[in-house]
Formats: sequence, C-alpha cells, structure tokens
Amino acid sequence: MNNPFYTRIRAALKDSRLQNALDANASRRLLAKQQAISSLEEDWEILRQRAHQLRYQTITKLDEYLDKFIKKTQENGLIVHRAENAQEAVEIVLEIARTHKAKVIAKAKSMVSEEIELNSALEAVGLRVVETDLGEFIIQLRKEHPAHIITPAVHLDRNQVGKTFQEKLGLPFTEDIPTMTAAARSELRQVFIEADIGISGVNFGVAETGTLCVVTNEGNGRMVTTLPPVHIALMGLERLVPSMKDLALMLNLLPRAATGQKISVYTSLIHAPRGEGEIDGAQERHLIILDNGRKAVQNSPLKEALLCIRCGSCLNACPVFREIGGHAYVSLKGKHSPYPGPIGSVISPGLLGQKEFGHLAQASSLCGACKEACPVDIDLPKLLLRIRAGGIKPKKGTRPPGIPLVVTWGLRMFTWLATDECRFSAAQKMVGLFSRFATPKKLWWRFPAITGWGLSRDFPVPATRTFRQLWVSGEIKKPLEIQSETESISGVRSGDKAEFKTADIRSDLSDNQPLVDRFTRELEEINGTYTLCDQSKLAKKLLTFLREHEIRSIMAWDQEHFPDGLLEVLAKEGIDISYKMDPSLIAGLTGGLASCASTGSIAIPAGRGKPLTASLLPEIHLIVIKASQIYADLKSVITLPELHSATSAVLVSGPSRTADIEMTLTVGVHGPRQVHVFCLIDQ
Amino acid sequence: MVRVLSKAGVRVEFPSGQTCCGQPAFNAGMRVQARQMAKHTIDVFESTSGAILIPSGSCAAMVRHSYLELFADDPDWLPSAKKLSERVYEFSEYLVDVIGVTDFQASYPGQITYHASCHLLRELGVREQPRVLLSNVRDCELVELPQAEDCCGFGGLFSVEHPEISSAMLERKIANIEASGADFVISCDASCITNINGGLHRLGKRQQALHLAQILEKYE
Repeated sequence: MNNPFYTRIRAALKDSRLQNALDANASRRLLAKQQAISSLEEDWEILRQRAHQLRYQTITKLDEYLDKFIKKTQENGLIVHRAENAQEAVEIVLEIARTHKAKVIAKAKSMVSEEIELNSALEAVGLRVVETDLGEFIIQLRKEHPAHIITPAVHLDRNQVGKTFQEKLGLPFTEDIPTMTAAARSELRQVFIEADIGISGVNFGVAETGTLCVVTNEGNGRMVTTLPPVHIALMGLERLVPSMKDLALMLNLLPRAATGQKISVYTSLIHAPRGEGEIDGAQERHLIILDNGRKAVQNSPLKEALLCIRCGSCLNACPVFREIGGHAYVSLKGKHSPYPGPIGSVISPGLLGQKEFGHLAQASSLCGACKEACPVDIDLPKLLLRIRAGGIKPKKGTRPPGIPLVVTWGLRMFTWLATDECRFSAAQKMVGLFSRFATPKKLWWRFPAITGWGLSRDFPVPATRTFRQLWVSGEIKKPLEIQSETESISGVRSGDKAEFKTADIRSDLSDNQPLVDRFTRELEEINGTYTLCDQSKLAKKLLTFLREHEIRSIMAWDQEHFPDGLLEVLAKEGIDISYKMDPSLIAGLTGGLASCASTGSIAIPAGRGKPLTASLLPEIHLIVIKASQIYADLKSVITLPELHSATSAVLVSGPSRTADIEMTLTVGVHGPRQVHVFCLIDQ
Repeated sequence: MVRVLSKAGVRVEFPSGQTCCGQPAFNAGMRVQARQMAKHTIDVFESTSGAILIPSGSCAAMVRHSYLELFADDPDWLPSAKKLSERVYEFSEYLVDVIGVTDFQASYPGQITYHASCHLLRELGVREQPRVLLSNVRDCELVELPQAEDCCGFGGLFSVEHPEISSAMLERKIANIEASGADFVISCDASCITNINGGLHRLGKRQQALHLAQILEKYE
C-alpha cells in the first residue's frame, strides 16, 4: 500500500521519541482534566449537556445569530468581512496588508489560519509572519505543521526544541525549559513591538454584544490584539454563542477540557478599536468570518461537528491519536490535515473534501473515548460512521472511502449469507467442516501478516459444531430441563439491586466561606500572590513591595482609578510614575472592575487612563481591588455591563504561563511573570 | 450463558433464524447491506416475545442505538426497529438490572481482572454490573486492570484495515493484563475476547480472556 496515510502511521509507530511524547501528553492531560473537572461546583455531565444544547440550538439558528453578531460588531466599529472559502479569506488578509504597507505580521494561534494556509500565502508575497505562541513558534522554526490543536509541538521533546533553538536562533544549546521559554520571550518581544499587523483567531463570538473572545495562557494573544496598529481576527462562522451568560458556560468548559485549567490565564473580550483618549489597543480591527464548507456541513448529517469548540480533548483521549500523533493525518495525496484526531477525521473530510480526507475516518476503533471526553458531547463515533457512509452527501452505491474493494465484496457476500437462515447455517457448517478436516488438531490458525489480523494475533479455530447445531439437536440442555434437574438458585434473587455509586464530583469547597478566602486561595493556586490590607495602609504596603523588588519606576493607570492620593504618595516617596506605554518598565499598576472567587481572576476593562499594556508589558503586574468587588462565579463577572461597554477587557488569572514544551508548566512567557493583588478589605 | 441463565431460572429460546445484527457492514459505512441484515434480524425477533439477551456489548449497542440511526429516515421500519431496541439487553445488564441476580455461587481460586469493553461501557453505560457479578465469585480475587477502560484495539474492520495501530493498542492491553497479575481477564464482548486471546496466544502468554458467563458457570 503506498497510501501516504499508511506510510505516516508506520513511521509514527516506529518513532520511540514520538511515542514517549504522545504517552506523556495523554496521561498528563487526562489527569489534569480530571482534577479541573472535580473543581466544578456543578456536575460536569450536566454542564456539558447544557453546553451541547446551547451549541446545537445556536448552530440550528446560525443565520439569525450571525446576522445579529455582524450587526453588533459593525456598530462597535469593527470592519467585518465574509469569506466564502479559503482563497477569499487569504485575499482579504493580503489586501489589508497591502493597504497598510505591512512588513511584519505577528500571529497568535489560529486553527482557521492553518485551515486556509495563510502563512505560506503571506510569505509568498514577501511578508514576515511570526507565530508567537511558543509551540507554534517552535514548529514554525522547524517548518512543520502543528501536531495538535492545542499543543502544536506535542510531538517534540526538550532536546529537540533545544537543538532547534540552537540551529535556527543561534542560541547556546540547553534542555532547560525555563531558559528556552525566556529565549522565546525576548525573541518575540521585539516582534510584537515591530509588527504592523496582529492576527488572532477567535474562540467565541458573542451575538448579543458583538464580543470577540480570545483565550490564551502565554499572553501572546493579548499582545497581537493590543500592540500592532491593525488587528485581524479570523473566525469560523460557527463559533458563536448567543449571550455573555452563555459565554460564561463555555468558558467553564473550554479550559478544563483543553488544558485542565479552571480558566485560561487571559480571557480577552474585544469589542472595538482603540477609543478616544486611549493610549493603546489596535486602531483598526478587522473581523474575517469564514465559511469554507461550514454552511454545507450545517445542512448535512455532519451538522453536530459544528458544535466543536476546538479544545483538543478528543485528541488526548483517543487511543489512535496516542499511537500515531497529529502529523500522520494526511490526505490521499499526502497533504496535511489541519485538524487531526477524532474531530479532524470528521471535519477535514466535511470541510475540505470527503474524497481527499474521508479515509481518515477508518482509523478509529469507534471506542467512544472521544465522545466521552468532549465538553460539548459531540457524538464523534456516530459522525465517523457517517463519514464512512458517505459524509455530507451520502450517495448510494459509492464505495466507502479507504476500504479496499475486496472487503466491500466480502461484506456483500456476508450480507447475502446473513439474510437467510439456510444459507447462514450452511456456511457455518462449511467452516466447521473445513476446520475439522483441514486442521484437525489445531486450536488456533495463524494467518499471514498481510491479512491484517495475522500481524499480531492468532485466530481461534471455529468450533466444528455450531451453537445452532447443538441447540437444534438438543445437545445443549434447554434451561427448563436443567432447572428440573438442578437446584435453581433463583432464591438468591435478592431484589436488592446493586446500588451504584456515581463519583461524587462536587467540589469540597463549602459555599459559606467568605469570598475573599476563596479568591485568594484560587489566586495562589494559579501562582498569583496577594496582600490583604485596609485602604489606609495601601500606599505603605505598595511601597514596601516596590522596595523589596527594587522597583523605582512603574507604569500606572490614572490616579482617578485608585483610592484618593495613592499615586501622589508613591511619587513623593521617589517612585517614577509613567502613564505611557514603556516596555522598559518592570512593574505595572492597575485597578480592576471585579474579581471572580471561583477562578482567582480579575476583570480589567480598558479605557481612558486605563491602558491595557500596564497589565501586559511589565514583568510584574500589581492590581488594586476592593473585597467588595469579588463575585462568587464567572457568570456574575462576565455579564457585568461595564465589561461590554469597554473597547476591550481582559480577565487576568495569574501570571502568564505555558506548557508547550513537554507539557511542563513554565510561568512567565509574554505576559507578566508575577501578578500581585492588593485587596482592600475595609468597606 | 444458557447454563448461567438457567441457574437464575430464566427460560431461554433461540430463534434459529438469527444470523448477524449487521454491525460489520454498518461500521464499514455500507448502510444498504447493514439495513438488509438489520431487517432480517427484526423479522426474526418480531415473532418472539420477552427480553432479547445479547452476550456482546457491541452487538447489543448496535441493535439498541444504531438501528435507530439506520432507519431514521425510514418510517416503514423505524417503529419496529424501535420496538426491538427496547427489548435488547446485554447479558450482565440483564442479570443485575432486570432480574436482580448478582450471585451465581460460582467459585474460582485465583486472580481475575475485568476489561471494560468500549461499546458496553460508553454506549450502553454498563460499568458496574459485571464487576458486581465478579465480586461475588467465591475464593477469587478481583484485581484492577490498569487502564481498564482503554480500547483493546479490535474495532471490527479497523483491526484489519489498520492492523499496525490496532496491534499497538492490543500490545498495551496485554501489557496491562500482565501487570494486573490476573490469570483471567473477563470481558462481556466476544470480539474483545477474540482479539485479546489472539494476541495472548501469539505471544505465548499464560493469561487468557474469558467471557463473563464462562466464569459465572465455574462452580463446584
């Protein structure tokens, strides 16, 4: 077989490094996810069914929500483009780049950009495109495709990454992950500042408010949507939720399923370009909404595939992905499938062509681990079977993709036998006779490897007499006869049906603990630090912190957003305060609109005198909030109207982090390395 | 299975017209052929009454769930497919959930472990029933199989279409069986048993896969 899919599979199975990497991915991700699920106050199963319903209804009324969303985004000041297909989307990006005479483009992770093969098109016209997600950055240096939706460099170990950095960036070889992460940070910092255009994906579009929600951990997503003067957001037209309340539900599920986090470090909510009087944020924001086959899928047996929120959870759970990894998933001609794993084996054929990618759906044992893992309960085995049965438009009489002719004829023959009692029992007898005379003493047959079965398994020799024969001839004692001979044990029919314990997945946190306690505990868990103090002590505490860290100058929000006289006191004590964007400053001081106790997050809206970069560029982010601003859950925070009226807002949940190299957590990537909250506990 | 059922006082009939539920064709994407076999199965069982017991989780899942998918657009056959699907039970599910018999006074001196077959577990939601039955086997220690809920790699045609992947999955399953220390690995699905035993025999291992009914009828 010279099918490139098989060639890739064999190569992957032989690659022991890859095997180790995939094993580590599967086990760590599954464990982290279980822990994150157990932290939920509501039952995971109930939440994911709710999310399924929500997504299903949204996809059913997609046109309605899409119209509403587009209207709202336009009102907010976004320039909205619709792209029918990949080529149109690429053209739109190229046109924007031409208009702005762009030279450097900084990109955050976007699966849509992989789908439309944007990078190669931009590079072809001489643009410098830099992937800024650590994993994407690594594979871009290696000229590879992402091997996973969430963890693009999942296939590499630290040694390989160290060598790549040595060869491509001229850095001294190291296997130390924090050193490599720091190298990527300094390499990319310059790119963020130089870039003419920032390109990002969109995790969710909110129809009610026109919000673009982008979640990242490293902070690169915030960088590319904040620093370059022009921002282009790419989204598939199915990535909508009706309201902010619905977004809160999805945000409870997405990070847990994707990376086992309660919440991603940065949840950006983007509404509009830079507002009047604001000193940062993109001045022009474009939104490209891509169809590329999605409408056709919406009206097909594959509709449910559009519920996907691209968390990658099905990849981590899939025993086949665990064996072959993301790079094995290729078309009949060897073209990389942008979406690997179980969901990829449905949407790649669905969006990019049944003929080219349909065979991927054969590489599944239909074990259902993917469905079980999916945070929106997509019935992936059912969809894989529908791909096998013809995909979007099943046509009668066409051979299922990836199945050899001999197998289909075998199944036709089998069907002919199995639809008639006489034919079937005659066939069974024939097999029995064959085994009796051809291999009279054997209990096992050994087939050659070419049969597939014979590669690793023997086959039990069929019984010479079938159950059917034994039953008909009376050699199997009919139960009633047995019953009269032996003592029936029906007496043990206890009636006390076994009571099955379902895992108690409620959180162990009691609800009556003060919100402050909960908030600080969660904050610590995500590597944040805090000081609790009365307002009158704030200045003193802040000064102590700054002195301890030998910080003399900070970037800050305007005084009006802090307790009276705070900045004045700091200035008097010799702290230089800058109100402008200055990448050289080590600390940034901001306020916050609200905090979320269940996740340890702080919601920070942008605005006049409230630059976004103060919470993004410095290595240390200091936040002043009041205890009275702490809310119990994500929904209460995310539905606050002040967040929707801001040009942009972000939920910050601890310092920036990555686990892109060997799934090893490293704190401090593009965003701050330290987040310290001053929580004012007096009223 | 017949002997175990008789111990519980269940009367068993075997309609001789039955053949195959059609899952091989359904899983291959050949729905025309799958429907033909499904219709044959519906015809055979329509003239009978009572619960229909299937000794394999995946065949039971096929009749209970996939028949509805198969005839979703066929108003002539959908009602009878539905009726049939409601009568179908997997063996352990029937014993524990329907007739409430959990102890067959079986005994086996040694260690056994349990492999959770995928369709049984995820499509039928049968997780604890076989364990309850096994925990009542006398003199025997039920040990945990590491990664008990991972697929054994069979997957029907998958095992011959993608033998390399399938074999790699089976290799893991066998390693886990060895690690469990058990002599027998019990399953409620004939196809998992064929696959696992095929692999165990090829490698010359001492362990063996058995159907749940085979251990339940081991009694003195």
